[in-house]
Amino acid sequence: MTYHKPNLSRRAFLATSGALSVAVLGGGLVSVFRDAAEAQDLGRSEINAWVSIARNGRVAIRYTSGEMGQGVSTSLPLVLAEELDADWSMVDALQVDQGPPATFGNPLINNILYTAGSLSIAGYFDRMRRAGATARRVLVHSAAASWRVPVGEVTTEPGFVVHGRSRRRMSFGEVVALPQLVTDVPAITDADLKPREQWRLIGSDVGRLDVPEKARGAITYSIDVRLPGMVYAAQLLAPVEGETPTVTTDTDARAVPGVVDIIPLRNAVAVVAETWEAALAARELLKVEWSNTSPFRSTDSAAELKELAAAAADPAREAFPWETRGDARAALRSSARVISADYSTEYVYHAQMEPLAAVAAVDADGKGAEVWLGTQSQTVSIGIAAAVLQTTPDRIRFHAMQMGGGFGRRTFFARDLLRDALLISKQLKRPVKLMWTREDDVKNGWFRPATAHRLEAALDSNGDVTAWRHRVVSASILAFAMPDNWAKANNRDFLVMEGAESADYAIPNLIAEHVIADRRTRVAAWRGIGWGPNMFARECFIDELAAAANADPVAFRRRLLRNNERGLRVLDAVVAISKFGTAPQGRAHGLSFAGYKETRAAGVAEVSVDGEGRVRVHRFWAAVDPGVAVHPNNLLAQVEGGIIFGLSGLLQERITIAGGEVQQSNFYDYEPLRIGDIPQIEVQIVESGAAPTGAGEIGVPMTGAAVANAIFALTGRRQRQMPFGQVRS
Amino acid sequence: MPTLTVNGNAVDTNADPQTPLLWVLREHLGLTGTKFGCGVGSCGACTIHLDGEATFACQVPLEAAVGHKITTIEGLSPNGDHPLQRAWIAEQTPQCGYCQSGQIMRAAALLAANPKPSREDIIDGMAPNLCRCGTYPRIARAIERAAQEG
Repeated sequence: MTYHKPNLSRRAFLATSGALSVAVLGGGLVSVFRDAAEAQDLGRSEINAWVSIARNGRVAIRYTSGEMGQGVSTSLPLVLAEELDADWSMVDALQVDQGPPATFGNPLINNILYTAGSLSIAGYFDRMRRAGATARRVLVHSAAASWRVPVGEVTTEPGFVVHGRSRRRMSFGEVVALPQLVTDVPAITDADLKPREQWRLIGSDVGRLDVPEKARGAITYSIDVRLPGMVYAAQLLAPVEGETPTVTTDTDARAVPGVVDIIPLRNAVAVVAETWEAALAARELLKVEWSNTSPFRSTDSAAELKELAAAAADPAREAFPWETRGDARAALRSSARVISADYSTEYVYHAQMEPLAAVAAVDADGKGAEVWLGTQSQTVSIGIAAAVLQTTPDRIRFHAMQMGGGFGRRTFFARDLLRDALLISKQLKRPVKLMWTREDDVKNGWFRPATAHRLEAALDSNGDVTAWRHRVVSASILAFAMPDNWAKANNRDFLVMEGAESADYAIPNLIAEHVIADRRTRVAAWRGIGWGPNMFARECFIDELAAAANADPVAFRRRLLRNNERGLRVLDAVVAISKFGTAPQGRAHGLSFAGYKETRAAGVAEVSVDGEGRVRVHRFWAAVDPGVAVHPNNLLAQVEGGIIFGLSGLLQERITIAGGEVQQSNFYDYEPLRIGDIPQIEVQIVESGAAPTGAGEIGVPMTGAAVANAIFALTGRRQRQMPFGQVRS
Repeated sequence: MPTLTVNGNAVDTNADPQTPLLWVLREHLGLTGTKFGCGVGSCGACTIHLDGEATFACQVPLEAAVGHKITTIEGLSPNGDHPLQRAWIAEQTPQCGYCQSGQIMRAAALLAANPKPSREDIIDGMAPNLCRCGTYPRIARAIERAAQEG
């Protein structure tokens, strides 16, 4: 037998190396740390919270966002390295496992360590630049002092500090080996940052730092962690949310060789064994009776879709305004011509390739633990672990593991899975790896909720949209996933509603509103968050309005974007690269203008429909404006991936629930697109130079309407209910 | 105690003979480059070579693997420099990376049997392997590159 310790050397143990203090960023002085034991071993100097440099010149740059495939482990260090003037070949990226939110939190996500919403680049871009510039300044001042020359005469070249007049140079490694570093450097101002024309790393296509290891299968995910003395836990989970085990007959299960214990938990019975296969075998023999009082027993997804549609059509149902411009109600009432249409989406599952898993080793006193978790939030997960053990966060030694896909699934899952792993480890006084099978992962998924949309618009005699109403009916994701935030949210659920404000379109009278439906199952954000369903409905409706106004879809959108230069540029770009409207015989094109947050984007699908009504997407073009493309090749990869993710959802993904039980089990009945199903994809980046925004979600929102509009162009049939891989008549 | 031949080495395991090879490799032998995705042969994350054939490790009981040559991603090449691994880097294929060991092992078996595959051959050959990040376009390009550059 062998065991494998996860690769810990690449990780930064900020909370446990107590000698480190917190750097002041964005103003004031920067502390330099030379006293951490680990740092001394490596001859490594902590320049600030984000950068340490070793005497051999290796530059370690920390990044906080979790890596789940979106490329932050390269793109965030790249931004810092730019201002530091580092030699990129000397850079190592270190995942921040934990650390003070004041230093490491994402300013766009309540200043906590949280990775979601394509907000890593947007949230950390400025901070990483300033951290890099500050670190560079420490090196410059230190070298100047050593050379006894004015600071103003010292500059940098990649990896070196240079004094041109005396032709002296020191590598960054030589600088940190100086007897004294000058720590007392002036704060960085905007004017100290490199102007864009001097960038040599931002906007370049360096290789992703994680790719070589991923090509060797050498990355450790939480599901891969193995520890000495570790036991394995499988769970027999309640078939319906809210039920609990009442009677457990475990005689046969306990007789399986290797079984250590059978432990009833709140929503499951855990089977713990010396091997994973023993845990699975024993789980098969377990007989559990469940309580039958959960209100979720009555959940029926087909009936719910009808309820949501009825609520969308019922003007008496209370709706909470998300966006109001002008007076849409009055304008719709007084308009001679009002068009309306209804759209819907169904439950979809994240299907991240790594099933959820948590590894925990609780301390002997039960008041602390070491945890290995693939999570979208270190702060939330550490908080949960501390609460479970009734301890303080400093007692949780946390490892933020590479995630085998996230897509929104790993935001709050730790609430249950991590809790159970900790309880089991605490009870058995052994490290535990708790794994879900794919079936567990599907049946206990947190799904993007089903939605219904009613769109209404007034068209004047010129064919202009004078009033607009977008009514969304959906359970609140925020209320379930982030109850503390929901309590303060004033019924504004950005995870459901974002996008419905349609801020890019010049519509004088507009209301977007949310009818908050009862939650019928566990819900979560899904790649693209509310933009997916909302842009599907909106951009299908725009095509319907264009048809009603006898306008072509491009011209109609161009008029709506008349005040929006960035929007027009991506629209025009995608029309150009797709040669929109010139699909070959038997195919048709469909257009969608649908970005994500501040990222503007538009897409065109080329579609055919076979004799049995099956939809095939042959080609897909996209134009995206992320402001600045920090790492263009990875941006392209993210947009490609997002398009495929979106197409998969709209063509063939659907979770159904009957009697409160999820009816799908595994990839054979919830099947994402395979390689043979995907179109040829072409993506054009249209940089506006605005502040950089995210990449992970952009591809998804544009897909739904592009394909639906293409199907209409080809068949004359509107596709208003997603999924529609089989054309509805 | 069954003896397996994994990546050219004879290794003993005390696992039950019915244990899926996937768990033996991952949890008993620590070869975690082979991934668990579905357990039912639907996703390909656990693809290994059994006597050179691409095989779902989750579908092979330990006893059926005894006497056969098992190759995992860790043993595909001595230094991680198989033409496909180089091509995977050149095309910047992986995103989350979780499915990529299985993709590379499937592609390696494909190229071994068909060194100059057409795009259609690649699409057909790679059909068993899912990727949720949507790296398929780059998987196909990387296989074409490896076939060309060898």
